[in-house]
Amino acid sequence: MSDLTLSSVKLCYAGLADPVLDISKLRLDAGSHIAITGASGSGKSSLVNIISGLERASDGKVLWDDVDLCTLSETARERWRAANIGLVLQDFYLFSGLSALENVLLPVRLGRVRFRVEHRKRAEHLLKRVGLARADQPVQTMSRGEMQRVAVARALVTKPKILIADEPTASLDEASGLAVGDLLIELAREEAATLLVVSHDAQLVSRMERRIRLSRGKITETATPEYAA
Amino acid sequence: MIRFIVADLKRLWAGSLVIVLLVACAAALGIAVTLQERALRLGSARAADAFDLVVAAPGSETQIVLASVFLQPSALPLVSGSVLHTLSQDPRVAWAAPVGFGDFYGQIPIVGTTSDLVLQGGKKTLTDGRMFSKRTEAVIGAKVEMALGDIVTPMHGLAHEGGHVHADATYTVVGRAAETGSPWDKAILVPIEGVWHVHGMEGAHGLNLDPHHGEQNETVSIGEPWTADTPGVPAIIVKPKSIGDAYRLRQEYRTASTTAIFPAEVLTRLYATLGDARALLSAVAIGSQILVGAAIALVAVIHVGQKRSQIAALRAFGAPRTSLFIIVWSQLLILTTLGAALGMGLGYAIARLISHLLKAESGVTMPVAFIGSDMRMVIGLIVAASLLALGPAALACRQSVAGALRR
Ligand SMILES: Nc1ncnc2c1ncn2[C@@H]1O[C@H](COP(=O)(O)OP(=O)(O)O)[C@@H](O)[C@H]1O
Ligand SMILES: [Mg+2]
Repeated sequence: MSDLTLSSVKLCYAGLADPVLDISKLRLDAGSHIAITGASGSGKSSLVNIISGLERASDGKVLWDDVDLCTLSETARERWRAANIGLVLQDFYLFSGLSALENVLLPVRLGRVRFRVEHRKRAEHLLKRVGLARADQPVQTMSRGEMQRVAVARALVTKPKILIADEPTASLDEASGLAVGDLLIELAREEAATLLVVSHDAQLVSRMERRIRLSRGKITETATPEYAA
Repeated sequence: MIRFIVADLKRLWAGSLVIVLLVACAAALGIAVTLQERALRLGSARAADAFDLVVAAPGSETQIVLASVFLQPSALPLVSGSVLHTLSQDPRVAWAAPVGFGDFYGQIPIVGTTSDLVLQGGKKTLTDGRMFSKRTEAVIGAKVEMALGDIVTPMHGLAHEGGHVHADATYTVVGRAAETGSPWDKAILVPIEGVWHVHGMEGAHGLNLDPHHGEQNETVSIGEPWTADTPGVPAIIVKPKSIGDAYRLRQEYRTASTTAIFPAEVLTRLYATLGDARALLSAVAIGSQILVGAAIALVAVIHVGQKRSQIAALRAFGAPRTSLFIIVWSQLLILTTLGAALGMGLGYAIARLISHLLKAESGVTMPVAFIGSDMRMVIGLIVAASLLALGPAALACRQSVAGALRR
């Protein structure tokens, strides 16, 4: 199990005087459940983008064991992300015309690892686990709640060490949001994955072990203060 | 992966259709121009096949070919009847037939000649009826919409050009000639004596002893022998016995009072001078293909642009850039190949249609067919399109994932 440590991480954009993200120290323990909150534009998505390797920090270190994500090439970060990160986004990004199962398997099918029967078995298992009985149902015929559950299954199909959900319940009704929140927490525990949830959903946030609040790119509050500097 | 590529194309079917149609139009244009130009060249060369050597009064060679082979109305000066006489006596000549134009029946040209030309010296047979044997009989071309027994009243010149009717001379259709693929299929063939008669030119020819000039005389004999007093004709079609004879005859009949030409040669020269027009036409075709290529590139960029967030999402979920490059590129390749195939069919259909219309108009059969170099052109188009598609495909993979997902 690997912890993730950010130190002196800055994300700057050309033309902006202040960095969008400015974090002096942040440690995410393996297997912990963390909520990230903050106003819109406070840098929540920027933070998860840096952790998932989608964006490279302008400065600082993002350490995973002794690997610094900031020093990896685009391709190496791509591989690292494919192997270690499972992502759930506010807009589900499911591909209509394909079934739920095909959508869950798409990252594997397009990826570098050879597709094996185990992948299919795992995908079918995950779909059952998130409560979808019909693996062959075309996704465009599903409700939004069901779609997000397919997305959760997809995020977990490669057994990621870190499950990141960026506002996973923001475009769902309350009941569906609750169900998806439950699934994220339960599945992260079952899979022994670190769970990182960006959310405004007080109900979901309150169920996390640790809460980090961002304001203008800086950590202003955390439920376990010893981690923040 | 293949399932995804196809499902993705289906989802964006409108954009896909636009690309396919654009490529199809570009390919169709190029192919139609190429096929049509070749068909025109082949068709007119074949139409000239039956006309080995044409002897006429000195004048424009092109005009002589247009008048004698393609039956275009034009006032050729006459060549003396004695030339016809000498040619028909020449041992190097298989047959020599006069042709006389100027009369019409409605829009249909009436051509005065002899059975030698109609039957190609016995090589061809009629498909219906019999050969004309009297001055008042006619054989119709294969594509003339008339029946045996119909009466033809000649008119001098085309009606809308102020022609006048020769009410005193009529012909009865007695036979139908075999198809030649030339404008002669749409003409009425009559004995040359009929044309002379209508124009009051009988002179001392034949055994025309009829004192009442201008009246129907059915007893006059037609065809050879010609004499030195035979009336003049616009052109004489000569079938030499050998190729050597053909060249010698052409040499001999290039005099102050006659000219001799090979229509096939004149056509070749005509195409050589038309070469510039052809080059222009293919330049237009290539230019339009470049324009369409640019349009395709634009559509491809838009296509990729619409999928920006989708592509970014796939990368975020762990798909490598190479996969996405292959997906976008193969999609564009599928679309252009489909378009090229469709365009080939479309171009062929257009060329066939134009050939059909031209044939209906002129009677010249224009064979539309693909040859090896056409395939090269289509393959070239596909290769060019696949190279063009590399740009948008690379673009799709270079974008910032975080930026595309944020929107
Ligand atoms: N490519 C960019 N160029 C300039 N500014 C950007 C860019 N991307 C994001 N930002 C800015 O960074 C800030 C943080 O964005 P984000 O992390 O998406 O916020 P959140 O997810 O908390 O709403 C915002 O103010 C946004 O305008
Ligand atoms: Mg955000």
